[in-house]
Amino acid sequence: MIKYLLKRLFWMVPLLVGISLVSFLIMHLAPGDITTTEAGFNPKASEESRQKLREIYNLDKPITVQYGLWLNRMATLDFGTSFASHQRPVFWEKTDPQGNVSKGLIQEALPITLLINVLSLTVIIAVALPLGIVSALTQNRPPDRAITLFVFIGFAIPGFWLALVLMYWTGVVNSWLPISGLHSLQYDQMHWLGKVADTLRHLALPVFISSLSGLAGIALFVRNGMLDVLHQDYITTARAKGLPENTVVYRHALRNALLPLITIFGLSIPGLIGGSVIAESIFAIPGMGKLFYDAVLMRDFPVIMGILTIGSALTLLGNLLADLAYAWADPRVRRGVLK
Amino acid sequence: MMRRLFKHPALANPLAMVGFIIITSIMLLALLAPLIAPYDPNAIDVKAILLEPSAAHWMGTDGLGRDVFSRMLYGARISLLVGIVAVGIATGIGIVLGALSGYYRGWMDVVIMRLVDVMLSIPTFFLILAVIAFLTPSIWNIMIVIGLTSWMGVTRLVRAEFLSLREREFVMASQTLGAKDGRLIFLHLLPNSLTPVIVSSVLGVASAVLVESGLSFLGLGVQAPQASWGNILTDGKEYIQFAWWLSLFPGLAILITVLGYNLLGEGLRDALDPRTAGNQAR
Repeated sequence: MIKYLLKRLFWMVPLLVGISLVSFLIMHLAPGDITTTEAGFNPKASEESRQKLREIYNLDKPITVQYGLWLNRMATLDFGTSFASHQRPVFWEKTDPQGNVSKGLIQEALPITLLINVLSLTVIIAVALPLGIVSALTQNRPPDRAITLFVFIGFAIPGFWLALVLMYWTGVVNSWLPISGLHSLQYDQMHWLGKVADTLRHLALPVFISSLSGLAGIALFVRNGMLDVLHQDYITTARAKGLPENTVVYRHALRNALLPLITIFGLSIPGLIGGSVIAESIFAIPGMGKLFYDAVLMRDFPVIMGILTIGSALTLLGNLLADLAYAWADPRVRRGVLK
Repeated sequence: MMRRLFKHPALANPLAMVGFIIITSIMLLALLAPLIAPYDPNAIDVKAILLEPSAAHWMGTDGLGRDVFSRMLYGARISLLVGIVAVGIATGIGIVLGALSGYYRGWMDVVIMRLVDVMLSIPTFFLILAVIAFLTPSIWNIMIVIGLTSWMGVTRLVRAEFLSLREREFVMASQTLGAKDGRLIFLHLLPNSLTPVIVSSVLGVASAVLVESGLSFLGLGVQAPQASWGNILTDGKEYIQFAWWLSLFPGLAILITVLGYNLLGEGLRDALDPRTAGNQAR
């Protein structure tokens, strides 16, 4: 297992280098100097902010030196300070000479987005697994047809539109749920249980929106996986030797059908992180997605580059965890028989 | 019954057929927009602000008194154009890189596959938004950016097809007879690996349409006054308490279009892929 872990860690090195190259390329994508483009569409860009841009990305140095310095920024996770007037550090808190601590932007936003994603994944597992299993067991009969219809609509429905409709219906027409922000105004005076309930009420709609397309995908995946497994010989053997149908389905078939799901969850992380932009900006949740969206609108480049890098690093981490979980769950992978 | 009526299996697949009908109807509406649209999509009429749907304005009017039905028709052009061009770019890149990777293998394969891994580990929506932040949002930039960030799946598909086809007898025979690389690639390998590429392209258009409308909704896609389903919805958000029609129609249009492409894609996959076709028969 240790050997497997080391091997996987080693594979991450070229990926990290690649991510640094792609993000470096994006920085230099704008025709000419990024400082001039910024000035081009933002008349407010002063000489001062251009100077800051040059400083932070060392644009007056040769390109190789610039890349080296960018690598250094990535390695030390120091993405500078935001261009916004509060000038807070992009990633983690810093203490100034007077001893004032200013919290990092990502430091504050990341836990919120992680919470939303963990809740979404929980919802996806809790709903998609039963749907997929029922669908496979009733193949081509009414329950399967209904679930397949739901899956297709789940894929096709634009999340931001559904968010808008739900926001109007549950928040404006009926006022069942709060429609923006993370906490109520009275949050500070609440009992801790009340705080949890309040946060969950605020997160209900965003979590639903961000889990919807994943839900459809996983349900379809479980269905197809179950169908594949149910047609294999060892299932026929299990049935032939007279095992109860429940044992065959849930112990023999389901376990094997669920294995690839671990990888799928790993692969769905970039989608979940990226998808947070729409849900968070509609519901005004101060997570990574909203932070990123606001940074894009303000052309706050240090924040953009910081989130892009941190988001990619999280994805790599998620994939690593998924691979390790897979190796833990499937001895064939661990011993290098498969893959 | 149905299978006897049509010769080609793709036509006999009811899912694919429904998807095909949806897509062609929307394409026709988009193409004929100048003939069908009752009003100029950008004509502002201050005497007709936020009117409910009626005989004069089938889908009502927006906050500037523009006819929503006309804007929806012109918006269809944008959505379909962005979807198809973006997927065209992605498929082009995917075929070239996948073919190079699968045919030449060796270091080229390693480099291209690592590049695929790198692109897959950057959250796509962040990547798209970051690029747009450095460029200016416009319909052309949107197409290019979506195309440049969605070629990885096709690359993997084409590579896998090439790797398995290369070992087949007809390719070896041709190689033994002295066929050059170009002939092998374009005459033998490529035509035989197109099926999964077509399926994934059709499904790709669906997600490109969703991404474009999402970007336009966020104000980072197609810019006003040019109509797109996404930016009509932005208005819908603003007037949601007074004008349900501004939110309902573009949302439904996106839903139906994406559903159409997904049905067509999945139907084609079932019809063209002997493995899943067999699965269904069981």
